[in-house]
Amino acid sequence: MNCKQAEALVAADADGEVDTLRHHSLRQHLQICMGCTARQRRILELRKRIRDEVPYFAASPALHARVRATMDATHGSVPSWKRSSGERWAWLTSGVLAGCAASALAWIVGTAVLAWQANEDFGVAAVGAHVRATLGDHLIEIASSDRHTVKPWLSARLDYSPPVQDLAQQGFPLIGGRLEELERRPVAALVYRYRKHTIDVFVRPVASPASTSSLRNVRGFNVAHATGPSMDWLAVSDAEPEVLSAFVQRLAREEIPQETPQRE
Amino acid sequence: MAENTDRFKAVVLPHLDAAYNLARWLTRDIHDAEDVVQDACVRAIKYIGSLKGDDARAWFLTIVRNAFYDWCKRNRPMEIVQDDGTAIESAVDPAAVDPYQAVLRNDESKALADAVEALPVAYREALILRELEELSYKEIARIADIPIGTVMSRLSRARDLLQRSPVLHAVN
Repeated sequence: MNCKQAEALVAADADGEVDTLRHHSLRQHLQICMGCTARQRRILELRKRIRDEVPYFAASPALHARVRATMDATHGSVPSWKRSSGERWAWLTSGVLAGCAASALAWIVGTAVLAWQANEDFGVAAVGAHVRATLGDHLIEIASSDRHTVKPWLSARLDYSPPVQDLAQQGFPLIGGRLEELERRPVAALVYRYRKHTIDVFVRPVASPASTSSLRNVRGFNVAHATGPSMDWLAVSDAEPEVLSAFVQRLAREEIPQETPQRE
Repeated sequence: MAENTDRFKAVVLPHLDAAYNLARWLTRDIHDAEDVVQDACVRAIKYIGSLKGDDARAWFLTIVRNAFYDWCKRNRPMEIVQDDGTAIESAVDPAAVDPYQAVLRNDESKALADAVEALPVAYREALILRELEELSYKEIARIADIPIGTVMSRLSRARDLLQRSPVLHAVN
């Protein structure tokens, strides 16, 4: 690989868009080329600064209220935020909708190949639980970054004892846990933070001994799954898929051997 | 419409933060961003039947983006017209950055955010989707309705502009 080729690849590689083979050749080139190495360093430094300094703006409670009013309005009531001129609705019902219909149609064509996963699926149920928890106020029932607090709380409410690890050193601080009911069974949900994302990790005893891992997308959330020696790990988040996948595999790999179920 | 609203609530509403973040970076204004998201929600409820795949976030962000460009055509037509390759160099012109505003903020950590705000909208959009929403090139291409090669060149230009931005170097 020469500098010209490397130059084109460095940014894509930093974005995780380069396949293993080319990633390997790029690494070989970077070992011998200071210019391209500097280029890579600048991109990574910029990324770090962007993630540290450029804010992610969350929707305000006022916007949530407006959107709720919109939902009510579609049932026929008058939205409280409606501007006196009424111009908003006038243009909304005109040509704008036609334009939107065209893009919506394009979207249908693009996504028709992605089949909706079976409803009974654990992953879909987990995403549903994640959404309900993040929309409501029950994301965390036991708030603690101490695994020795979270684990007994969960063990006391389940017929198994979920292994709880704190991976704050790796960038995934534990922030708490809660109890979920999935597929008519109580399941431990561990809540981690990764940058600005919340990660729900659902832990339950292994159903079948086959060790598997998978990654997919449900309703716009990434769902990563891994099987450890005794537990089944399923993480749901809007964090990057590769990050989520590596995280859940680490949890499964470093799973503490199953302890005897304990009750308080 | 009740089913539409229920599905919107369950599938799309969880991505309201992502929608607002994108709208906020595109409009660069709190109130305008809320108007754009509001409009996007009305459209999303109306057209939720077209959401067939799993990727509700990308679907919703596509609608937010469309709502922004429609809003922009009505409120800031110059911003889109300007947005071609020739006008873009002005983004790094020191005169294009308002130093007075930067001083008012009196906060050095805002310098990079200011530089991002000063990017032309097409580059800003690609950068925000990649670095803050952490979307793949393919997803960005679909949302912005451009080829993957264009996503790459816009990201590359956005990063070059930021690295050359006077706002950024004023801090270092």
